[in-house]
Amino acid sequence: MTHDAPQVLVEDVLLDGRIRLEDLIDRDGLDELCRSFHALFGIPVRIYSTDGALLADAAGEQELCAYVNTTSEGRKACASVVGAVRACDPGETGDVVHPCFTGATYRILAIEYDGRRVGRLIVGPFLPNNLNDPPPSLYAIDPAIAPERAKSLLPKMPRAKAETVTRIAAHLKAVLDLILFSGHKAHVTSTMHLASVRESYRQLEEKTGRLQEAFDRLKELDRLKSNFLATVSHELRTPLTSIIGYSEMLAEGLAGELRPEQQEFVKTIHEKGEQLLSLIMGLLDLSKLESGTMRMAMRTARMEAVLREVVSTLTPTARKKGVHLELDLEAGLGEMRGDPERLRQVFLNLVENAIKFTPASGSVTLRTRMVAEEAADGEEEGLSLLAPTRSHLEVRVEDTGIGIPPRERAKVFDPFYQVDSSSTREYGGTGLGLSIVKRLVEAHSGDIRIEDNPPRGTTFVVSLPQVTPTVTEAPRVTG
Amino acid sequence: MQINFGGREIGIKLVYYGPALSGKTTNLRSLHQMTTEGSRGRLMTLETKDDRTLFFDMLPLTFRAAGSAARREGERSMTLRVKIFTVPGQVLHASTRRLVLQGADGVAFIADSQISETEHNAASFLDLRQNLAELGLSLKQLPVIIQFNKRDLDRVRSDDEIGALARRGREPVFKASAVNGQGVLETFFGLLHLTWTRLDAEHQLAKMIGVESTELVPMAARQLGLTGDVSTLLAACVGGNLDRHTTKVPA
Repeated sequence: MTHDAPQVLVEDVLLDGRIRLEDLIDRDGLDELCRSFHALFGIPVRIYSTDGALLADAAGEQELCAYVNTTSEGRKACASVVGAVRACDPGETGDVVHPCFTGATYRILAIEYDGRRVGRLIVGPFLPNNLNDPPPSLYAIDPAIAPERAKSLLPKMPRAKAETVTRIAAHLKAVLDLILFSGHKAHVTSTMHLASVRESYRQLEEKTGRLQEAFDRLKELDRLKSNFLATVSHELRTPLTSIIGYSEMLAEGLAGELRPEQQEFVKTIHEKGEQLLSLIMGLLDLSKLESGTMRMAMRTARMEAVLREVVSTLTPTARKKGVHLELDLEAGLGEMRGDPERLRQVFLNLVENAIKFTPASGSVTLRTRMVAEEAADGEEEGLSLLAPTRSHLEVRVEDTGIGIPPRERAKVFDPFYQVDSSSTREYGGTGLGLSIVKRLVEAHSGDIRIEDNPPRGTTFVVSLPQVTPTVTEAPRVTG
Repeated sequence: MQINFGGREIGIKLVYYGPALSGKTTNLRSLHQMTTEGSRGRLMTLETKDDRTLFFDMLPLTFRAAGSAARREGERSMTLRVKIFTVPGQVLHASTRRLVLQGADGVAFIADSQISETEHNAASFLDLRQNLAELGLSLKQLPVIIQFNKRDLDRVRSDDEIGALARRGREPVFKASAVNGQGVLETFFGLLHLTWTRLDAEHQLAKMIGVESTELVPMAARQLGLTGDVSTLLAACVGGNLDRHTTKVPA
């Protein structure tokens, strides 16, 4: 079995164990937050990442510190304290105090998210509430530090109770936790969004691939079917020609006079042979049209002649059935590029079909008209270039027969399709005719559609393009 | 399951699966409300504005091993991190469900007890099976428990019916009304118990953490602020076998 595991792990999306303060929080925003805390409580605040980078700083230099830094030993001692504070680990409890020789203290607190340390918060320096005078440790640093000066600067340092600092730090940590959570959630949402889209895309691609394979296989099968049909029809035709030929010779008495009954039998053999031949020819045509190997003898065709011939061929059939067959030609039909033989086949088939499905005393009308395709102004691109070439010859075959329900209209052009399989018995036919007609029309760059013929019946509309209208000669100007 | 020896952490992933609107998120919200801070983290819900889960919900729980064995050995304690996820139930989120399900150590299937939802439950269970198959897993290998939620509604499948079905099935079954907090802890601890038993049998986790095998679930309950006995919660199971060591996966 092959497994299609998604390429993204939700644990990765969640940054499990890899969350960094600096990745989820906007630096400038963090700086602003610290400054506002400083402004509110007067206590310096700094935030460091787990690897010791300073992320936000709201701690101006205290005057006492500035003074101490003017002495050389003071400067060294100060740097050492600041370095120690910066490197100080908040320990198991996550909260440690670091003293300064000035008597002030620093608090170093762990910033945690999801139970893991993501940074450090350093609060201070601030003075414990009970310290009023600088401790001896300050004067011991450097003799140059003047006690009066130090004493006057000490009260300028912020002063806070340890519990107050604990509460302030807890509050700051809670705010940070909320910001981290929001940042984390936004990160997860956007990453999951991308991951879901990728996963859907991957699945779709797989499905498309499988469909494409199936489609290619079907196309190949279809090609094989067409080849098979072409070969089989060809092979069937050869012996059939002999059957038809010999039955014809028998009927003509070339092998001796036949009794009337024998004559009738031979005639049936001949008729059925012809029927079978036309079916085989139909199959052959269809397979050629499907495989695109049908050769069209394209030349200038006069539609009027084609249609007149169709009507004269089928008039006896119509008369025999009591159906009125009429030809209504528009003047100036002109000529077109096409294979007259194939066009004749198209209309013979359509008219024959119409007669077949029209009851006695009904009518079948073959009507033509030129249609200029007119797009509404401004609706089609390049109208000024395309419009003059767009004209179609429309041939309508209207009957007053049983009609075709709208939902069946697209299917009647499928090979072997019959609207009602019981009608096969009533009306006969192989179900090949219309599929051949459609393909022949399409081979002439035309199209065929079915419309109602109110109040009753069907109209097959064949639309053929690129008709050259008969040029009526301009009146000669004599002068 | 993920083991991080350096960080001394074990990560377990539990997934609440089930049809749309069966109460997966409600289970998590109730669990969040019924437990105390400290061990449980913030509930992350990623949902649309009409409260439908979009990607997943996630509730992290962190337990520090404090068993007698751990204390004896005096080592730095191990941390057990349990993450509970819900999947989006709506049919269209199929790919997200698969992403969330990947790597699950145990699944709670939250079914809707309403009679009208019976088919949706079945379809979602088949979806679970299909997704597991595509991830190379099977229901046989995975600890799964079933919760029949929404017992407080009318027109639900009867207790007798669920009881009879549960006795025939292999998955432990719990009844719940998550919106009222009923059956939520039972379901969670049932799943944790089943998953832990399975993972411990395979990886000897108890030894790694330094607790007795049977000590972990009660320890987790204590750290979540529960005062009662976990075994009474587990006793709410109406069917299946909660104590089975699921079939061992061939190595």
